[in-house]
Amino acid sequence: MYIKALSCISPQHTFDGDFFKFEPIDYFSKQVEAIEPNYNELIPKGLLRRMGKGVRMGIGTGITLLKEYPNVEGIIIGTANGGLEDCVKFLNQIVEYKEGTLTPTNFVQSTPNAVAANLALMTNNICYNSTHVNTGLAFESALMDAFLTLEEQAGPLLVGSLEEISSYNINIDTLKGWVKSDDETLSLLTKSNTKGSVPGEGACMFIIDKSKENAQSFIRDFSQITTKDENVLFDFFDRFLKNNNLSLEEVDGFMLGLNGDSNCNYFYDLFINRYIQKETILTFKNCVGEYPTSMSFAVWLSTELINGNNIKLVEYQAPKAKYQRILIYNHYFGLQHSFMIIEKPI
Amino acid sequence: MDVFVTGFGVISALGCGVDENFNELKENQTGISKAIFFESSFVDVFPFGEVKKSTEELHQILDLTLNSSLTRTDLFALIATQEAIKMANLSREEVSSFETALITSSTVGGMVETDFLYEDSNLLSTGSPFLFSYGSGAHTQKLIEHFKFQGYTDTINTACSSSANAIMMGVKLIRSGKVKRAIVGGTDSLSKFTINGFNSLQILSKKNCSPFSSERDGLNLGEGAGYLVLESSEVVKDKKLYAKIIGYGNSNDAFHPTALSDDAKGVIDAMKKALISAKIKEDDIDFINMHGTATENNDRTEIIGIKEIFKKIPLFNSTKSYTGHTLAAAGSIEAIYSILSIQNNLLFKSLNSHNPIVYNPLFDSNIKNIDVKIIMSNSFGFGGNCSSLIISKI
Repeated sequence: MYIKALSCISPQHTFDGDFFKFEPIDYFSKQVEAIEPNYNELIPKGLLRRMGKGVRMGIGTGITLLKEYPNVEGIIIGTANGGLEDCVKFLNQIVEYKEGTLTPTNFVQSTPNAVAANLALMTNNICYNSTHVNTGLAFESALMDAFLTLEEQAGPLLVGSLEEISSYNINIDTLKGWVKSDDETLSLLTKSNTKGSVPGEGACMFIIDKSKENAQSFIRDFSQITTKDENVLFDFFDRFLKNNNLSLEEVDGFMLGLNGDSNCNYFYDLFINRYIQKETILTFKNCVGEYPTSMSFAVWLSTELINGNNIKLVEYQAPKAKYQRILIYNHYFGLQHSFMIIEKPI
Repeated sequence: MDVFVTGFGVISALGCGVDENFNELKENQTGISKAIFFESSFVDVFPFGEVKKSTEELHQILDLTLNSSLTRTDLFALIATQEAIKMANLSREEVSSFETALITSSTVGGMVETDFLYEDSNLLSTGSPFLFSYGSGAHTQKLIEHFKFQGYTDTINTACSSSANAIMMGVKLIRSGKVKRAIVGGTDSLSKFTINGFNSLQILSKKNCSPFSSERDGLNLGEGAGYLVLESSEVVKDKKLYAKIIGYGNSNDAFHPTALSDDAKGVIDAMKKALISAKIKEDDIDFINMHGTATENNDRTEIIGIKEIFKKIPLFNSTKSYTGHTLAAAGSIEAIYSILSIQNNLLFKSLNSHNPIVYNPLFDSNIKNIDVKIIMSNSFGFGGNCSSLIISKI
């Protein structure tokens, strides 16, 4: 599969293209929120007013690509939680008004398929339409759906993800021990060794196609496994490499989902010790924080690096001039693991 | 490559297990009534397709000691999956094989625990036992832990067409050679979240729903789960085969967040794609299990779509008059009912269809001794998500 075009809203200046001109914005905070563009030229005001942040970010990035590629043959979205804020608002109404007469707006906006549905509606496109909600693997599931869809029909497809911070997930993730108790310097997140991480949010969308014409990157393979056992995990990764007939020396950069959580860091530590040289580590959660579909940001960033864009991602590492092949390893709090190989199209 | 159904399991308002469901369908006994276990102020207002088991009884069926982190959504999924695995006679090794995928779906997931969720999400507690149970994908983790799945997993939420898309995804994975086997389906339970949402849209009926009746005035919500074991022709060997999934279509109506278009464009496109994918003509369809929710909008639009595709309208029913609308579980439960029709040469009467908008003999009685070779099963959801499956006799 080839990535033809991409769009990203994140806590960095990724949507307006300024991200690669400077060092990443640093935050000292318990959570990092996305920088939203002015949507007025992208989304009709009547629709925009009703949309929560996650839906807005998903539509903003998606519609940007659909303007360029209006005839996609599939709209496939991954999101763990969809419009969470609307979900809580509706929930609070149910409890506080004791199931009285409620307005449906929050309910309708909170359903995870609202983004794929709105994109179809706004572009009047009746093509294949699906939404995957497989928690920390929701984006990877959308990509798998895209892969299988392209085996059966022509492309291109719109594939992407969105996730929003809301009081709901911050509070619940805090109770789970997934949020750091103190403010954290985001640029130092990957070196942090306290419990939990810094929640982030964002949306990334991609135009995915079979043909490599004008492609920006090539997704060679990706694979996922749910396990708490590192031996099962490494057996799985070894097989993944073997299936791709790939040796580690052929990889220029390893993009790791290091999120500074002392509870689950050991998977990354073991992976680094076992497989890679520290000089080849790339990180991304020091730009956007942790969220279930952050893998899509890793794909966005890897594609931009392969494309020749460059930014200082790890303090001890000088940016490499050219990346031909990046291997991404991410896991969501030590349970759902994901590997992906992204290459320069040749 | 052919994709066979080698096992299935179901729990719904009609009962726990395939046999109980089949008996009630055969006897035209509805499962829709006043809810006993579900706690909501709407229990006195609307009838529901409630699973007639307490949470404790659901644990007993699974031989589990009462585990307070399992929601009804999880328990339904575990019970139906257990039955499906048993019927398909899968070994532990086969269940845990990397060649076995799990594609599940839910709309409400663990939000069924509305009151705990309210407290946890507003920091009014120090953490309830359901902290790890709320998300749409939480029940997937419970299935993985319980059955020790190690292969590819996915959770889909396309509202009321979710498990139809889970079945599609399973077939696609097998056809591509990515896996040899997929356990596919959906689960949902009655929840304040859903009922208040549907009530705010004013589409719930205070009576037992009457699909395709000119007097219909809304749907009844139900709960339950349906899971199927799909296996490739490579691995079925001499196993008992119940049906084949031969086609599927998915489309978006691109019209309105909670209503289908007057010209039924998504509905028509999903059925057309399914026929093309199955490489059959419309007159090959012997029977349609309709989405048939009994809302004014759905049933009118679905009939418009059917009339557009079929020169002669096939036999059809809506089993939502038995189970209520089980949301994410509807597509897989109805695929299972379709397979029961194929297996038993029996089509089930559609209940309460007084003065139907289009007449069909199944509004009067069951049809026995009928050779049903190919069935279409439709599922449509909010957000315009339309799916159609085609299931055939072996």
